Amino acid sequence: MLRKTLDRRIKIAVFLLAALAAVVLLALAVGSERLSFFDLSEQHRAILFDIRLPRVLLGACVGASLSVAGAALQALLRNPLAEPYLLGVSNGAALGTMLAFVFFESYGFARPMFAFAGAGIATFAVYQMAKSRAGMNVERLVLSGVIVTTFLSSIIVLLTSLLDAAKLRSFTFWLLGDLSQATIDGFYFTLAAAVAGTIILSFQAKALNLMMIGERDAFDFGVEVGRVRIIVFAAASVLVGTTVAASGSVGYVGLIVPHLVRLAIGSDNRLVVPFSAVSGAIFVVLADTVARTAIAPRELPVGAITALIGAPLFIYLLKRS
Amino acid sequence: MLLLNACRTELPQIGDQTKTRGVTDDLGRTVRVPERIERAISLAPSLTEMIFAIGAGDRLVGVTTYCDFPPEAQAIQKVSDTQTPNIENIVALNPEVVLVTTASQLEAFMKTLEEQGIAVYVTNPTNLDGVFRNLVQLGDLFDQTERAEDLALSLSRRVSYVTHQKNYQRPPAAVQRERPRVFFQISNEPLFTIGKDSFLTEIVESAGGVLVTKNVATAYPKLSKETALALNPGVIILSDSEDNREPNDVFRNSPAVKNGRVIRVNPDLISRPGPRLIDALEQIARELQQNESPSE
Repeated sequence: MLRKTLDRRIKIAVFLLAALAAVVLLALAVGSERLSFFDLSEQHRAILFDIRLPRVLLGACVGASLSVAGAALQALLRNPLAEPYLLGVSNGAALGTMLAFVFFESYGFARPMFAFAGAGIATFAVYQMAKSRAGMNVERLVLSGVIVTTFLSSIIVLLTSLLDAAKLRSFTFWLLGDLSQATIDGFYFTLAAAVAGTIILSFQAKALNLMMIGERDAFDFGVEVGRVRIIVFAAASVLVGTTVAASGSVGYVGLIVPHLVRLAIGSDNRLVVPFSAVSGAIFVVLADTVARTAIAPRELPVGAITALIGAPLFIYLLKRS
Repeated sequence: MLLLNACRTELPQIGDQTKTRGVTDDLGRTVRVPERIERAISLAPSLTEMIFAIGAGDRLVGVTTYCDFPPEAQAIQKVSDTQTPNIENIVALNPEVVLVTTASQLEAFMKTLEEQGIAVYVTNPTNLDGVFRNLVQLGDLFDQTERAEDLALSLSRRVSYVTHQKNYQRPPAAVQRERPRVFFQISNEPLFTIGKDSFLTEIVESAGGVLVTKNVATAYPKLSKETALALNPGVIILSDSEDNREPNDVFRNSPAVKNGRVIRVNPDLISRPGPRLIDALEQIARELQQNESPSE
């Protein structure tokens, strides 16, 4: 019996990795320009390696980061609706990026740093608001998240109203999630965060499994509940902060991907976390391929595609469960 | 002109001292305005520029925060930025007509104004002819017919001077071959350009260039970077705003960047379908020609 489930999990892992490789190759093969791969001209080489490849790889990292952050937050808060967006983490990162853009024009390190700081501050604020003398309950935390999210949204709206028209245009696009600004340097940064975040959160998976039963039970089993909570919040902030800085707000990924993974393999976080990383990468690379090619040579924002797929799928899952 | 006059029907109203007339706007709606308009509000910088250009600027009682040209326009009370007009300010100014353009996407707001009993006149310029037509329409609206027609005529002469100059200089076949391939960059990141529905497409082509994105749908599409790279333009025109000072990185190996053939145009001139559009046309034509010289 145990062996059978193990076999099944290995099969799913192999399948997912093969699917990721296939999807990445597919994404590299198609685009608004048709490339002749056997005889690459200098121009086509530039298109493939300078434009398409960084974008596909960044998309994979963004998908992995958001999915891992979502999976960990859902386990920690014992709420399948928990998502970076619901908790204000994404909006904190978005506001941080926006401020970096307004005050430090550069695209360099200011953006991810400010995004991470914004995500961290938002998470900390939610955490502080949710904490009470009686400890922290999940309802209070989710409610605090909603309040912080809407508060930050209003600041973002206020800022976009105050910014001049040219900046407004790029921001409204960016807020919907946009991978077109991918560079190979930006990719390394996001990759480093994605890998580090996935590893750190995978190490917390066992503790998260126990905490899913209940924080008191987990505490009785020797889990340092407070420490796990801080690690998960910090790692999620880094993951979300770096992705938002690189690609804006790509919605629904952190919600929908861990859900599907749990449907397939159950809720053991030691598997849900890494499997979510791979599945999230597949999901976003596919969605961005649609965004790049559907109305070529024009482009759609990838966030619109993920939301378009994610929202109905989510409603379906919600009705079914 | 005959057609425009035909639209103007005198209808005296019983019990009302001010005579009104019906005028037809670009959407084909009949708008009732007083015989002589003394209080008008413009909700677009292009309309403000046109109204001043035909000599009716003194009859504007409200404009938008973007209406900064001519300098006199800055002294007029601001009733909105173009995105969110302030209905209270507008009603308080008691205008006889509010002028809007479809370019500002104020369709919903139009209804609100009309519910307040305020006449709304809509212009919809989609090309240079539309700008000339609007000038004549505004001349009619503000009783400045002669001045508006003169202006429209002199502007259209400047346009044909530019286009004919292009054609006379060399035989037509050579013109076809040598016309520079132009990319128009509206914003750098994300990469926005102009497509077939933009009035700037006509400007570029009239100035003697071939717009490489002239078949792309919509007016201001966000363009795939791979396509942008593959288009390999010979000249890049930048809308010279803060976030758009340099050509996008994908153009670094294009002939445009390698040969330094980058033209920067004041964004106010090319974002407002008004009289100064011709200034932009002349600048682009001049710089395209300068760039063509063999010494480059």
